[in-house]
Amino acid sequence: MTVALLPPGFEALEPFIDAWALAGAANRAQQRNDSTEAERLAFYEAAKDLAPAALDYLDRKPLAELDEREKRLMNLMLSLAHVAPTVEALGPAEAQHAQDREHLKITRASSDLYA
Amino acid sequence: MNVQTKELQAGGQVPDLGTGPIPAAPYYDPAYFELEREAIFRRSWLQVGHVCELAQPGNYVVRAVEVVDASILIVHGKDGKLRAFHNVCTHRGTQLVADEGGKAARFTCRYHAWTFGLDGNLQSAPDFEQFYVEKAACSLPEVHVEVCAGLIFINLTESPVQSLRDYLGPLAEQLEASPVARATTFGEYVYEIEANWKLAYDNFQENYHLRFIHSRSGAAAVGEENPFGYPTQYAFHGPHRTQTIWSNPGAVPTPVQAFAFGKAFQFAAADGFGQYPHAKDYFALFPNFFLFGSPTQHFSHTVMPITARRSRGIFRFYWIGEDESASERFAREYCMVVGRDIHTEDRAVIEGGQRGLNSGALKVIHFQANEILCRHLFHEVDSRVQAYKASLEEGARA
Repeated sequence: MTVALLPPGFEALEPFIDAWALAGAANRAQQRNDSTEAERLAFYEAAKDLAPAALDYLDRKPLAELDEREKRLMNLMLSLAHVAPTVEALGPAEAQHAQDREHLKITRASSDLYA
Repeated sequence: MNVQTKELQAGGQVPDLGTGPIPAAPYYDPAYFELEREAIFRRSWLQVGHVCELAQPGNYVVRAVEVVDASILIVHGKDGKLRAFHNVCTHRGTQLVADEGGKAARFTCRYHAWTFGLDGNLQSAPDFEQFYVEKAACSLPEVHVEVCAGLIFINLTESPVQSLRDYLGPLAEQLEASPVARATTFGEYVYEIEANWKLAYDNFQENYHLRFIHSRSGAAAVGEENPFGYPTQYAFHGPHRTQTIWSNPGAVPTPVQAFAFGKAFQFAAADGFGQYPHAKDYFALFPNFFLFGSPTQHFSHTVMPITARRSRGIFRFYWIGEDESASERFAREYCMVVGRDIHTEDRAVIEGGQRGLNSGALKVIHFQANEILCRHLFHEVDSRVQAYKASLEEGARA
């Protein structure tokens, strides 16, 4: 039998784990830049409707106590926070934006604790 | 709302700033920058950090202040006191602390192992009997440091003409009531830019550019009744200034945006900032710091000058308490990401502005009525530069 990589109910996000379940805000910002438009759109479409349920699920525990499956789900949600503005707002401006964005280096994020 | 026209809707006392063109040279000329170093940066209160970085005795941070060729060591002492020093060993001037911060019981110079306490006093030095000086005369050179609203300011003059609180005037109290005063953590992104510090700073003091530069990322900042998204009020407080930002009440948020901002607002309300009166106020503190009041995107921006045409910007999003839940973590990450998106667009266009100015082709630039905060900054800078220049000339004649 295969071991579930995410908590029950969020299996639909398993195909996105390798690319998007990333610890560290700077790493998530980098993946937003490195991904293709199709990859971002597929992830956004899969994740956005699951986000309310995923956060409700994770909110039941302190962040310091999340297990590996729950951490993956948390990091997927955090990647959604990076990808959503590209899909929802920037659209065709993303390519130039990605280049310009690299000049603003994320040096610290509150999400980096217990990541 | 009051959309600004040439008849300004200004609060407080409006200084007489004139309406004429502004000389362009101060925005690129190295000679003017040399005067600013002394007239402004060596004698104004400069924001360099926040007390949450130094929560425990022994915590320290090191800050580069290139405009005055200084590295500043800020230390939380065993006695609970915050002190700032030039980061320089008093033996022969080696930079004492090489990293950017951490926790220490003492500081030891790697060159000859002179060791200083958290209070800056020289504790020990190998074979010190061979020297011709007392240890008491070898303390680290101290720098004035004061705190308002958790924000750490330094002043590099020997004796500042005003305390920080007097310098900030009535803004001190407003800052003390803002989220940053209770912040315990922050997110940060940093950029370098080929631009004069005033040009970089000014971009954030006018909303005239919003509809052109942030047409996608900042769609809610403009609207039919306020097509340029001009602020609803400006106010002047000595060398400082404030403006009240307008946002379009009819703007329809995108799905994840609505979800994330909704959560962010809940957390701000839980911290007691649901009805915060300064949520749309922007506090611009002379010379190079601002704080946006919004409790959901409570960010500061400091522009550190490096040369006449090069600067470093530091954006910080301040938060009260560590992330306490997945939802809070998600909301904070989203707020920082969209802030960075907008500031990305700002940074790119500012560099374009500097490239245009550097040739000297323009002798003057023009500020419209709604760029009055930029005009005010120039006047505050130039009055100090001219006074300093006059004092130099007087000194030369004497």
